[in-house]
Amino acid sequence: MADLTLDHVSKFFDDDGSKVVAVDDASVTIEDGEFLVLVGPSGCGKSTTLRMIAGLETVSEGQIRLGDDRMDNKPPRDRDIAMVFQSYALYPHMSVRGNMRFGLEESTDMADAEIDSLVEETAEMLGIDDLLGRKPGELSGGQQQRVALGRAIVRDPEVFLMDEPLSNLDAKLRSQMRTELQRLQEDLGVTTVYVTHDQTEAMTMGDRIAILNDGELQQVATPLEAYHRPANRFVAGFIGEPSMNFFQMEVHGDTLADDSFTYSLSPESEDAVSGSDHVTLGIRPEDVELVADGSADHTYETTVDVVEPMGNENAVYLDFGDESRFVATVGGMRRVEAGETVYAHIPEDAVHLFDASSGDALKNRSLESVELAEPEPQA
Amino acid sequence: MSVRDDIADQLGVDFDAVDPIRVVLYGTLVGLVAFYLSPLESGLMTALKTEAEFATSPPFVPPTADGFTLEPFSVAIDTLASAILNSIMLAVPATILSALLGSFAAYGLTNFEWRGQLGVVTLFIAGIFIPYQAVLIPLSRLWAIVDTQELLAPVLDITLFSVQVPVLGTVELATHPHYASIINLIITHAAYGIPITTLLFRSYYKKLSTEMLEAARLDGASAFTVYRRIVLPLSTPMFAVTLIYQFTQIWNDLLFALVIIPSGSGPAAVATIALNELTGGIIQTFNTQMAGAFVAALPTLLVYILFGDKFAKGVAGEA
Repeated sequence: MADLTLDHVSKFFDDDGSKVVAVDDASVTIEDGEFLVLVGPSGCGKSTTLRMIAGLETVSEGQIRLGDDRMDNKPPRDRDIAMVFQSYALYPHMSVRGNMRFGLEESTDMADAEIDSLVEETAEMLGIDDLLGRKPGELSGGQQQRVALGRAIVRDPEVFLMDEPLSNLDAKLRSQMRTELQRLQEDLGVTTVYVTHDQTEAMTMGDRIAILNDGELQQVATPLEAYHRPANRFVAGFIGEPSMNFFQMEVHGDTLADDSFTYSLSPESEDAVSGSDHVTLGIRPEDVELVADGSADHTYETTVDVVEPMGNENAVYLDFGDESRFVATVGGMRRVEAGETVYAHIPEDAVHLFDASSGDALKNRSLESVELAEPEPQA
Repeated sequence: MSVRDDIADQLGVDFDAVDPIRVVLYGTLVGLVAFYLSPLESGLMTALKTEAEFATSPPFVPPTADGFTLEPFSVAIDTLASAILNSIMLAVPATILSALLGSFAAYGLTNFEWRGQLGVVTLFIAGIFIPYQAVLIPLSRLWAIVDTQELLAPVLDITLFSVQVPVLGTVELATHPHYASIINLIITHAAYGIPITTLLFRSYYKKLSTEMLEAARLDGASAFTVYRRIVLPLSTPMFAVTLIYQFTQIWNDLLFALVIIPSGSGPAAVATIALNELTGGIIQTFNTQMAGAFVAALPTLLVYILFGDKFAKGVAGEA
């Protein structure tokens, strides 16, 4: 068991003579037993990164190491990794048992009986022991998913690679498998790299998440850190649902202004934005408060445009009377009607400020006012 | 009211009314069936008649009790037996070779990436369109230069090809020098079949899940193991297609056999050549010719029956 290190890894594709950068200088160390989630929008290079670790793509620049052992020049079969694919990639002509045996038959010298007992043990753990004689075509999506997992687990590899393994399941099964997968990974303690575009999976499953965009690693952090202290505007907008509200503002000394409203800054915030002419002001929907009157600071008169009731909360779309809209989430029991005039309070300690051109975070929300119960990241 | 009327009432149809369009449709279909089957039927009837009966009745009319005979079939079987054996020894290995080599080539050309791949694929496709006639002279020159008999002498000496045939007794094929020309034919047909089988397998292998093949590689399988344990078992329907197609092609081929077998006949003659021996010289013996045609066509028919369902799956592109 050892750490998995990506050391300045890049991947270039040749597209009719022009160089396309798929992954740009990504460096991250995944600790032994850690669950790292690679998350980002489609085409951000997360799958390519995973495939480079697997050895299904060559590494254009940089190194991948397992412990001190360089593995980017080894063929996939010598890397001691197992991968779970989005399509499950089961062998359709083999029984579930055959599918799970295959890896052990090909990569070890184990005796038949030993392989059988390992397969049965793993199948039992996953609750598919009664399916061992069936072919993949006779299984439901959820069962196929378990077989794909079992095929990876039975090999007891150094690293698990998972490429959107839950995305073909229906919503209910997905959240169930999410929990189960997490429990399995904790029990097995195998280093796992998990690729997803779903930020809920990223938030809930990962010990740490690595957010990628356009082939560049944006931030590697614990889920809560990424949520509350995003490194840049992209991370702030990508993590969280509904996503963070952004306002493009001009800096005028101690106030920010756009066409719809002005926002006065505390001296501390003023310091943070002093180097920029234009900033992006970000506020999470749950931090926008709907209050009774507009007398307090940072309180604005708005009109309710649309209300999306979720049961536990309402997503309220507000506008300033012009085109700019933003979202506030309020408790599910609170009655808000479309067309109503409400006052939105945007508290300064919850505001994020980003440089308008680079997108880098200039100031993240203050965590002093909230009780922070962040678990220790698992080593 | 009868039950029939009851049902007719409930369904709102009148069983007595006949739709003229359906009459025309079924009439046409029956006519077409008769049209397509009449040569076969006439052939079969002719093969079951004595020559005298054939001379006095239309070909499609069944033989009378006096005119019925199985003799044409026994003559045809006697005349064709060794040629059919030759054809089997030619068609079976040549078919299997061309299908297997085509499958290998398609796997290498489809499921791997390497420089210059497209050029090689293009060559294979071009190979399909070379007409037989264009290669006849080079082919006969080639087999005139390559003395297969001598090259294979050490192998043939161990009577590898001696077979026990119930009717004919032991046939010591290996002792016959003619077997060399059958080997020449096998090689020629296998080589000529590879482009088309490769193309067929390639279109099939393109549809195999890339992720599945990658999963096998990650599971520790080498490229050849992936072929043997994953790709080959999954290719059964396409094997049925190529086997049937190639078997029919090779079995029915006359041109290569005439060119490659010395003097176009003799002990190495294949079924298509030997059929000519049944013509009966000046007086045409149509009954034995027809019987011969049926005997010679039987193996291809058997192949269709044996692999037909898989063939249908393969053509439909089902895995």
